[in-house]
Amino acid sequence: MTDAKQDDAKQDEAVDPNAPVVGMDYFMQLEYQEQLCPVVREFADALMEKRLIGHKCPRCGLVYTPPRGYCPICTVQTTKADEIELTTRGIVTNYTVVTPVQYYGQEATEPFAKVSLQLDGGGNLSLQDMPNVPVGQVHPGMRVEVIWAPDAERNVDDITNRSWGSAEGAIRGWKPTGEPDAPIDEYSDKGF
Amino acid sequence: MANDIAIVGYAQSPSWRETDLTEPQFLFPVISEAIERAGVERREIGFTCAGSCDYLSGQTFAFVMNLEAVGAWPPISESHVEMDGAWALYEAWVRLQHGDIDTALVFGSGKSSPGRPSEIYPLQMDPYTLTPLGADPVSLAALQARALLDAGRITEREMAEIAARSRKRAIGNPYAQVTGDDDPDSLLKEPYVTAPLRRHDLPPISDGACAVVLATADKAKALSNRPVWIRGIDHRIDIHQPGMRDLTESPSTRLAGKNAGVRNAKVDVAELSATFSYQEKLLCEELGLGDDVDVNPSGGALAANPVMAVGLARFAEAARQIAEHGKGRAVAHATSGQCLQQNLVAVLEGD
Repeated sequence: MTDAKQDDAKQDEAVDPNAPVVGMDYFMQLEYQEQLCPVVREFADALMEKRLIGHKCPRCGLVYTPPRGYCPICTVQTTKADEIELTTRGIVTNYTVVTPVQYYGQEATEPFAKVSLQLDGGGNLSLQDMPNVPVGQVHPGMRVEVIWAPDAERNVDDITNRSWGSAEGAIRGWKPTGEPDAPIDEYSDKGF
Repeated sequence: MANDIAIVGYAQSPSWRETDLTEPQFLFPVISEAIERAGVERREIGFTCAGSCDYLSGQTFAFVMNLEAVGAWPPISESHVEMDGAWALYEAWVRLQHGDIDTALVFGSGKSSPGRPSEIYPLQMDPYTLTPLGADPVSLAALQARALLDAGRITEREMAEIAARSRKRAIGNPYAQVTGDDDPDSLLKEPYVTAPLRRHDLPPISDGACAVVLATADKAKALSNRPVWIRGIDHRIDIHQPGMRDLTESPSTRLAGKNAGVRNAKVDVAELSATFSYQEKLLCEELGLGDDVDVNPSGGALAANPVMAVGLARFAEAARQIAEHGKGRAVAHATSGQCLQQNLVAVLEGD
């Protein structure tokens, strides 16, 4: 029996009508449905073709993937004309190990790593998985390449306007290429 | 005495029932246009304040993403209110009183289309007695409309006339969402949505944004031939629990209007956040606006209701009446909470 169910059982047994009310449960759920914005729609369509795309700022040259439709640094809008195809190889710039707390809705039980990547040739992705690497071995500087989901399973159902490049239905994660680590001092200010 | 602050630039997005653009994406051109119209360099702006609601967006810290439309690198001085952009304007007005900076950017934005307003809004109510009831804005407004009808303060026909006039005035407004040449008699034949409110008494569900640039006196004169001066501004709040209020009155509107100086001279035009038809008449009474005042020439909130921007849009529309249509003295009003619980009133004047 979970703690919550034990609490329920206690409440059911001992209802004192004269006791003051000291608290109440109110479970709420809100549903939101948002269309993909056009630039993220194009990003999702490209993923289905095993392609990664981004927008390159025409002023400063920074690459945004997924595209946002603007460069927030230069405050200029970007369009289809600024779209570029990105490589699917890169360098781990940073990582976070998440140790799951078993709150309501948490499905993971074991610690896992989420990594930030800088792609060769430009573009950064965050919240990426490294499914075949033990958590303790993930480190900045690792050279990695993409693991696409198999054709029959690939989907972009989990992509939203707020995915920040997380695309688990299409990108299963990243695997080490086996090459020597990149000199991380050159990349340590590129990820977060 | 407060220092004079002027509106020197403003811009709005259209009001959409549903846009597929993200909030930063549709804010982007609005903020750029307001800054361009003000004629100020983006990097010169001394303070930025935004109004938005994460519950509407359905994401914690959604307001941080909106800063991407501002240009926040290198770092800027900015703030955010979880309120309509009109309150962001109030914060910026206070900030400009310090006198150490001369310009401020204010914006409000909201995307109501992804969620269900009737489920989201009860969560802003008292969590013990009102949220579990699902007390949503339409139901609460219906109670207020019923109180006013029972007191003989308004008729359903007057409500339909207000709605019909709003839709007609909105025909020339490129940002409006609900426009049309409707006959009050035919509107009255429509069924109730929540009695005594019909569809025309309700605001539309809207996505949209508004931005305003403020400047101190010397800067405003340097930037603009037609600065719009904020001569008075005040906001007041009534008790939260609607059962403890006389819903036929809005004392906070009355007090804010008095403190802003609405009655000190003739008012030419008023832009009021009357999000339900009957509220327009109540607001006019509490502010002392007579039949000679042109009320909501833009069509008001019944024509376009981008929540979190709709109050700031009243400032933009009132300023437009002065800067572009030669009006002398305007009132801008914004509201928050249920049944006109909290109200902000400002008096704007040309030179």
